Amino acid sequence: MEIVVCVKQVPASTRVRLNPATNTIVREGIDMMLNPFDAYALEEALRLKESAGGHVTVLSMGIHSAAVLLRQALALGADRAVLLSDKRFAGADTLATAYTLAAAVRKLGACDLLLCGRQAVDGDTAQVGPSLAQKLGVPHLSAVRRVCVASARELLCEKMTDEGYLEIRLSLPALLTVVKEINIPRFLSLKGYLQARGAELEIWGADDLDVDPARIGLDGSATWVVSTAAAERRKAGKEIHGTSDEAAAAILGTLRQKGLSKPEAGDARG
Amino acid sequence: MRLQVQTHTDEIQPYLADESSAVGRAEGIIFPQNEEEIREALQFCRQHGVPITVQGARTGITGGAVPSGGQVINLSRCSRALGMAWDETHQRFLLTVQPGMLFSQVQKGLAEKEFNTEGWSAESLRAYRRFCAGGRWYFPADITETSASIGGMVSTNASGAKSYLYGPMRSHVAGLRVLLADGRSVSLQRGEQFAHDGAFSLSLEDGSFIKGRLPSYRMPRVKNASGYYITPDMDLLDLFIGAEGTLGIVTEITIALAPVPALSWGILTFFEDSAHALLYVQALKRLEGKQKPAAIEYFDRACLEMIRREQIETHAHQGLPLLPPAEAVYTEFHHASQTDMDQCMRLTAGLLQSAGADPGETWMAVTPQDLDKLIGFRHAVPESINRVIAERKRDNPAITKLGTDMAVPDEKLEWVLGLYSGSISALGLEGLKFGHIGDNHLHVNILPRSTQEYDQGKALFLDWARQIIAAGGTVSAEHGIGKLKTAQLLAMYGEDAVAEMRALKRCLDPLGLLNPGNMFAWEGGA
Repeated sequence: MEIVVCVKQVPASTRVRLNPATNTIVREGIDMMLNPFDAYALEEALRLKESAGGHVTVLSMGIHSAAVLLRQALALGADRAVLLSDKRFAGADTLATAYTLAAAVRKLGACDLLLCGRQAVDGDTAQVGPSLAQKLGVPHLSAVRRVCVASARELLCEKMTDEGYLEIRLSLPALLTVVKEINIPRFLSLKGYLQARGAELEIWGADDLDVDPARIGLDGSATWVVSTAAAERRKAGKEIHGTSDEAAAAILGTLRQKGLSKPEAGDARG
Repeated sequence: MRLQVQTHTDEIQPYLADESSAVGRAEGIIFPQNEEEIREALQFCRQHGVPITVQGARTGITGGAVPSGGQVINLSRCSRALGMAWDETHQRFLLTVQPGMLFSQVQKGLAEKEFNTEGWSAESLRAYRRFCAGGRWYFPADITETSASIGGMVSTNASGAKSYLYGPMRSHVAGLRVLLADGRSVSLQRGEQFAHDGAFSLSLEDGSFIKGRLPSYRMPRVKNASGYYITPDMDLLDLFIGAEGTLGIVTEITIALAPVPALSWGILTFFEDSAHALLYVQALKRLEGKQKPAAIEYFDRACLEMIRREQIETHAHQGLPLLPPAEAVYTEFHHASQTDMDQCMRLTAGLLQSAGADPGETWMAVTPQDLDKLIGFRHAVPESINRVIAERKRDNPAITKLGTDMAVPDEKLEWVLGLYSGSISALGLEGLKFGHIGDNHLHVNILPRSTQEYDQGKALFLDWARQIIAAGGTVSAEHGIGKLKTAQLLAMYGEDAVAEMRALKRCLDPLGLLNPGNMFAWEGGA
């Protein structure tokens, strides 16, 4: 089975820091990581390769630093790794991203199964997988929690729903987006790491793909980010210390001061 | 006196215990928020001759923070960072904090570059701006229980897995402010005041001196948290680190920060038996300089089988692949460059292969997320032990956790592993061994299934302590003595040495107000 796994490099933290001088988000020095959902996709691909034979190609669209993820994928057991990296890809929304990925998948050649994580934790749209399937003209299932090879050209999958799951049989080629319930990703091994040290990564730019320049990057995007800002931080509340009696008296006093509680008759603290 | 709680309410109940099995008693509790209030509380207790138990976050497991009457001074509300400085000599930042600030709060503030700087001096604010401007810094002291307070870490000279490379808390304290029992205070910076051939003259803030003699015992040549840290020409700052609050109340701690290593990788290696695991450990321990690992930790077969059983039966430890039925050694490496790390990885692959392990079966963590998974596994062992004990205690209340904290010299590591395994096996007990094997420091836990096994376990520990002391080891390598291990300290050093420890305490705390009962019995100054 020829499997292509799409992976993305995302920020390792959702915490936003503001530059106090410009009030813009600080992007430098942010740690990056493999999108957690994509780790499950990669693991499932490796398991299918081990059980059914074939090859696993890992594909990513991103800046050069994403190369480290692809090397780790090779060290885990992927056979080929391709990075789509070009300034002209920058600013791509999910539409343009899926368009570009589709072009790369066509260039890769034979592909029986595409695996994606359900969503990227930075964008949280869950759109790229289904959009990619549509552009490649293959059926897709999202939120897949189990995959079995039913026959040479058929898979039996469990797709999660709000109430439980659906058991669905689909023909290859197809695209699946997977959820964390599908497996537990393996650790890298020292042997795999050392073997992959010298492995070649393929880096493709826009000129290496059969793409319309008007459909990639910001130009090819139907949506774009106008501005980003951190949510306004709430001011710290007032801490009240002391025994239960003292704290209760302090809280009652504050409520009365704000007119939120009326003194009661006979109340010594009124 | 503000914030004093009377014991007839429920307020004080949580503060009568720490993470050990001991529960104490106290007349009242005080929560000072700054040094002035600590001084006021101390004066009150001194005037009334009331003994004091000083508490941090109460995460200790030897009863050090458990009161035996008197007043509790709980420092949890002294929890601010007070300032920062740039140390030009050592090219590092220094952070000064109150004793109640938690280790986790310090790490978070450093990682997010966010501290409450209200009241900081202009010099501190300049250093803070420099800190925020670039580079990643952290506090390299390493402890398992990250909810411990910095003051508590000073009192116990806390350590953890990465203390193998970076040293225990002592290695990271650049200065202390200490309030003595008589109300005088001393500010100590490392490298300023020293003992000379066992004699000391402690220079205090008001210009006065306290003179005395240090105990004459020699500490064992092992990782050690038993008794006072004593060397004849020691830096007097070190006298208060690991003193379990018996010599003074630490009101400010200046800690030294370090740049975050560019690369921190971990490797979990599996072995069929302890002999092969030990071969690997011994090879790792010969690595020095840049090659020295940050941590070397060991988990015996029983540890892995316990976690594996939980993974299979209860689907616990989500995110961790199924553990194999084997022994395991965890190593962590910190390097500044990929080139250095790659060289280290090639070297390590050779070492573990020579010891009979398969590099293809190792678990390697090269990202913070994967490192966290391996930390999760390492912490799962003691947590699972606690769960098992809690279950067995329900049927038999006499059963409590039985665990050791002993360490031996390098040349005795193989011997002590055999001692532990042989004794446990001979009695048919259920036991697990894990811990800081790089420092020859293993925690051995017995999981008693009956009162008889519990008694057998306790007797075994006493026998081990006797043999380990005779072999030049220590009864406590990191947990300290507290109130629960005073008998072991006495057995380790002998009456004369403990009498010298009492004399030292009497020199700095003549009335015995501060944490009496920690380390050694204290009865009215005897």
